[in-house]
Amino acid sequence: MKKKFPIAIQLTDITKEYTIHHEKPTLVEKFYKGKEEKFIALNHVSLTIHKGERVGIIGRNGSGKSTLLKIISGIATPTSGRVAVFGRSISIIDIEAGFHHDLTGEQNIFVNGMLVGMTKQEIIKQYYKIIRYAALRQFIDAPLFTYSEGMKLRLGFSIAVHANPEIFILDEGLGVGDDDFRKKAKRTLLENKKNRTIIICSHNLELIEEQCTRIILVDKGIILRDGGMDVLHSYGRFIEE
Amino acid sequence: MAFMKKEIAHFWELLYVMTEKEIRARYKNTVFGFFWLIANPLLQMIVIGFIFTFFMREPILHYNYYLFVGLLVWNFFSLSLTKATPSIMFERTLIKKAVFPREVIPLSIILSNAVHFLAALLLYTLPILFLHTLTLLSIPAIFGGIMVLIAFTVGVSLLTAALNVRFRDINFFVQALLIIWFYATPIVYSFSVIPAKFVWMWRLNPMTSIVQLLQFGFIGSAPPDFLLCISNIIVTVVVCVIGMVTFRKESRYFDDWI
Repeated sequence: MKKKFPIAIQLTDITKEYTIHHEKPTLVEKFYKGKEEKFIALNHVSLTIHKGERVGIIGRNGSGKSTLLKIISGIATPTSGRVAVFGRSISIIDIEAGFHHDLTGEQNIFVNGMLVGMTKQEIIKQYYKIIRYAALRQFIDAPLFTYSEGMKLRLGFSIAVHANPEIFILDEGLGVGDDDFRKKAKRTLLENKKNRTIIICSHNLELIEEQCTRIILVDKGIILRDGGMDVLHSYGRFIEE
Repeated sequence: MAFMKKEIAHFWELLYVMTEKEIRARYKNTVFGFFWLIANPLLQMIVIGFIFTFFMREPILHYNYYLFVGLLVWNFFSLSLTKATPSIMFERTLIKKAVFPREVIPLSIILSNAVHFLAALLLYTLPILFLHTLTLLSIPAIFGGIMVLIAFTVGVSLLTAALNVRFRDINFFVQALLIIWFYATPIVYSFSVIPAKFVWMWRLNPMTSIVQLLQFGFIGSAPPDFLLCISNIIVTVVVCVIGMVTFRKESRYFDDWI
């Protein structure tokens, strides 16, 4: 079944090392310290995700989940290994990032939309849909500092959805607004237009169960298990060990 | 190829929007807005103009105008560099969120400053018209000076912005350097007072010909000599290439360090 779909993401033998720095790193430090401490976040990980798959990534804190997402989204570069990603990906890690509080909602849609990879033309085309989805019509020309936390999250999520990414990456679930909007957001994710690939990394197992069909368990920098719902169900026991 | 073209188009579009954002955000809550742009170098000019005339052996013609254009150039350069150097760190949430050419962060700061700088220059031209110092040669001199200035500012800023991510003391280093650099550039004094055996130091400082080109263009002071110009331009090109390459290389690992 999987074979029918083209590949969306292919990671080959990915290793990611971080240099541990205890204080703010400085140039002066580099000259007298010499050897640097390393931390291996991902250890020779290979992974193939096909178009249209809905992948949930689970694992303990510090297991390498977030690093894996960052490598996939292109925010971090691996120390070694090859990353191939086909199609536009959007990662919802910090929905509010890139908003400027002195600018109006409208101006922020343009700045933020372009930062996540939309062209001006696309934004103009999607502009009213973005506002309608976020339910912000009468506030759109007010500066962002007048918005409530929920309104900002809604606007951010709406921009991300309308950017029409082929790969949608969510870190730490959906913290989006009130219950109603959260339901709407979940529905949008489930709609799955155009074989959109969805990758969710979360401690919220209910969300993963609801949204995903393939579960990957990451532990100590390697993929421990990769399978269906059974991985999720045995996770409880794994955590206790 | 078509893909590359799209990427480049998006880069410029994004840079434009980010620059617009910088300009809008800066003056959103200040009533005077543009006024400060002129007021700041004007105050500096009055203070320096008053004090330095006591020390000068050979007075410089139109000294206040001479000072003012140098200060405008300097303020553009130092403000851009001071703001661009820690800019990647300030936008860390953005870096951790989205993938876009990171260059737009420092570049949008420089461009927004450049818009202000050009507006101030335009205002400065008004009183200059009455001095009758503008000639046909003014246009290439001023235009060339601005080009080299922007290129040099971009080069240095990209370099310091990229390095500051990994080495946080670069920011302090830049602050200290700017103070020395101000006096190493002929803004309050004239290039002619520099003893011949030290001239090589000014040849390494592109700000020298930049400031001189604008002083020459606007008020007809002595133009930079050919050798100085050439060596300054070479330094500018080298700094630009190093800045761009370093930024490109480092930007892939920004996320690791912020």
